[in-house]
Amino acid sequence: MPYELFEVDKEIPDRKKHTYVKDSADPTDEIPKCNTTTIPGCMTERGCAFAGVKGVITGAVKDVIHVVHSPVGCTTYGCGSKRYPTSPDLPNGDKVPIDQFNLKYIMGTDLKESDVVFGGMKKLRQSVLEAAKEFPFVNAIYTYATCTTGLIGDDMDAVAKELSEEIGKDVIAFNAPGFSGPTQSKGHHVGNLTLFNKLVGTKEPPETTPYDINLIGEYNIDGDLWVLEKYFDEIGINLLSKFTGDCSHDEICWMHRAKLSLVRCQRSATYIADLIEEKYGIPYIKVDFFGPRYCAENLMTVAKHFGLEEKAEKLIQQEMAEIQPKLDFYKEKLQGKKVWVFSGGPKNWHLPEPLKEHLGMETVAVSTMFEHEDGYEKIKERVGEGTVILDDPNSLELEEIIEVYKPDIILSGIKEKYIAHKFGVPCVLIHSYENGPYIGFEGFLNLAQDIYASIYSPVWNMLEFEETIEDKEELKVEIEEISQETEINAPKTEPQEEVL
Amino acid sequence: MSCANVMKRDRTAVINPLVTCQPMGAMYAVAGIRRGLPLVHGSQGCSTFVRYSFSRHFREPSEIAVTSLHEDAAVFGGRKNLISGIGNLAVRFKPSVIGAISTCSSEIIGDDMEGFIKIAREDLKKKMGEKEAEKIKIVPISTPSFVENHFRGYDNAIKALVTNLAQDPGDATEKINIIPGMVNPGDIREIKHIMSLMGVEGIVLTDISDPFDSPLRPSATETRPFYPKGGTTVEEIADSSNSLGTISLCGYAGSGALSLEKKYDVPAAVGPIPIGVQNTDQFLRNLKKFTDLEIPDSLLDERGLLIDSMADLASRYLFGRKVAIFGDPAISAGIARFVCELGMIPSVVCTGVENLEFVSEMEKVAKESDEPVDVMIGSDLRALEVRLEEDPVELMIGHSDGRLFAKHLDIPLVRVGYPVYDRAGYHRVPIVGYNGSVNLIDRITNTVFDKYYDKEHWKLQQ
Repeated sequence: MPYELFEVDKEIPDRKKHTYVKDSADPTDEIPKCNTTTIPGCMTERGCAFAGVKGVITGAVKDVIHVVHSPVGCTTYGCGSKRYPTSPDLPNGDKVPIDQFNLKYIMGTDLKESDVVFGGMKKLRQSVLEAAKEFPFVNAIYTYATCTTGLIGDDMDAVAKELSEEIGKDVIAFNAPGFSGPTQSKGHHVGNLTLFNKLVGTKEPPETTPYDINLIGEYNIDGDLWVLEKYFDEIGINLLSKFTGDCSHDEICWMHRAKLSLVRCQRSATYIADLIEEKYGIPYIKVDFFGPRYCAENLMTVAKHFGLEEKAEKLIQQEMAEIQPKLDFYKEKLQGKKVWVFSGGPKNWHLPEPLKEHLGMETVAVSTMFEHEDGYEKIKERVGEGTVILDDPNSLELEEIIEVYKPDIILSGIKEKYIAHKFGVPCVLIHSYENGPYIGFEGFLNLAQDIYASIYSPVWNMLEFEETIEDKEELKVEIEEISQETEINAPKTEPQEEVL
Repeated sequence: MSCANVMKRDRTAVINPLVTCQPMGAMYAVAGIRRGLPLVHGSQGCSTFVRYSFSRHFREPSEIAVTSLHEDAAVFGGRKNLISGIGNLAVRFKPSVIGAISTCSSEIIGDDMEGFIKIAREDLKKKMGEKEAEKIKIVPISTPSFVENHFRGYDNAIKALVTNLAQDPGDATEKINIIPGMVNPGDIREIKHIMSLMGVEGIVLTDISDPFDSPLRPSATETRPFYPKGGTTVEEIADSSNSLGTISLCGYAGSGALSLEKKYDVPAAVGPIPIGVQNTDQFLRNLKKFTDLEIPDSLLDERGLLIDSMADLASRYLFGRKVAIFGDPAISAGIARFVCELGMIPSVVCTGVENLEFVSEMEKVAKESDEPVDVMIGSDLRALEVRLEEDPVELMIGHSDGRLFAKHLDIPLVRVGYPVYDRAGYHRVPIVGYNGSVNLIDRITNTVFDKYYDKEHWKLQQ
């Protein structure tokens, strides 16, 4: 049976369809049920559509101010929560005058009870005008619907249109109230559609080259984009537009001028690549830069498109030579360690093969918060026999996976990290990273280092108090060795008083 | 003697709020119950953002369930979601209390939560049997996100818990109820420490100290489902009507105390938060008043240690320095009073609330300040930034959300309160009581050393 009902799910048997154990003998269309609404009260890890649009897609844009049309909470939660650093440089040579502007500020309409009764359009209008006044250097103002404004039915597009003319800058409304769609994935979709419909094709780049690309679905988590940018620079490929890591508002407006689009996060951003291809005939390639081999292969694919294979070859050789000795070290240390990958979506299929090939690690479980069918097909292709694939796991399932599949490490988010610790299992943050970047050649080393440091942290050997240490052969040997080296008597088994 | 210049935000929009919406406060309150689970009746963001926020501050798990409202609920109401949410949570997690927390969505849709809960209770009885179902208390907590802020949400939740779970008085006890407000685990532990020195038994309504700072001991961990150690038991809350008195540490969190006073004649004392000498003295006087117990020498010695550190440090390093304090209204007012005791000047105190009790507390503090105090209410971090650009201070005291503002203003930030996610251990170290105040004076003084003695470091040689 490819589908398995976890013991903790016996009261919610629908979960069985979301829990698939890989068996190559199955017909290929057997994958977990996904992208459907969560069972209420089951302790899901999922978020909302507003988080999907502001948190994931638009929060990385460096020269816009965001106005969240909401009671105060969504505004507070919408600020600086994702690790999206930016450089101050703008395409026209100007600089954003405030360091990490996108991480620092957020605005909100601070809706009260009377606004719920009489509508919030007036406050939205006033707030956007105040945004323009408060931050005159911004190149656009992005506004967001939330549950409250979705329910009271404020026509945000009308306000945005009117104020765009009045202010003379793009004012964009993102209509992804929190309740829309089963997960944050709905917000990604709305973000893509809105940015495409309102912006792409509205401006022209200052200059173009034959080597211009759109790097789509790369948000510069902990500097990932800068790693890739460096590679492309060396190969001779120009990032005309980033979507949306370290990007400026204008870059999105001229995405129609690139020669090729690359789609990095294929869950959150294939939509816009499709739309650009359809309308402007710009082809796109789905790329994968996690892990040295994938990174090398995909850089070559992109380079080939522009006839720049030689430069890519040189870069890849250089980078591999640099990381290989360290990679060998980590592989020796991590060989055979079992891992559970729990990401939002695509890292579930990005990571299992590189972890196996380069680090010798075995992926025993994968799970996603918001992946769709296409993603699960890729996941299924890339994990080994017997790996459990879970859609939208809840925290009781988390406990059962730890108990049954016994991972040595979990790669997940902060909500799961500390509960994993309570079970004595280390956890590396995979959404916003521990000590990233994690992408590319050197990024994979960072990931390996964080996994290594987590598994080999001495703390995991001291979880419980032990009455005696006689049984610990290894420790005994070590103590003897140390005492021989230092020519002192072997320490007593009882704790010794510190001699002052 | 000086005055308070009370200023309201002069914008419609909020820029970098100092508050969040009501449900978060309710989640915090329910998390302090032994096997208590918050169930947010709203969208998934309403629970996930808060879990994220709790986890990054406390570096602990935070289990919060949600009814996952979507478009269909927007049209047809959230009845099905709430009833099945309660059912699923009850049978799989067997909590002692489910705090059913409303949100903007459920309030706008107009869900009759109390009515739905009644139906859910009946369902549970059928599913689990009457006896098992009775063990699970379901408390409706109304926290419309578009009214006030998370401090009100906390207050509403504590009141709802007490109203629903406190039982009619039986035998009077010698206990004191403590409503801690949204303080840290270290703070609650310090309050318990003070009470144990006094010889008073307490009921903490509610106690997040262990749930949000729990040991990593796999062999002693409750699993399937995981529950952290500690928290206030339902029995303790039930017993709160028999106590000698209720002390609410924070001005914004008095409703539960007043409700116990009105309904069960348990006398109440609300605020001020015991930060600094005079506020902690007041807390001890309240304890003494309710219990008739003498204040022991051990506590007076702790007071003496605080006074000693003030005598050693305040005049030489701190006196006359201007400070901006922001964030939590109770903590801010408490710290403002304490910095006055240190001879410093609380030039600006900025919060997101507009509570009258905060304003009157600040008016009292201003009288103890040598210079006028700007009291910014209903305000935000941007307004504070603009104020400090015009008229800088030497030190900022507040939470981590102010970190980039402090950095760009080049004013050192002493971190206190919630959230602090860019430093380690601040949730463990108390800032209340005499001991907490010693920690605070050390933290402030060391920050002054780092910033203002870096160039002339020889001044730190004796």
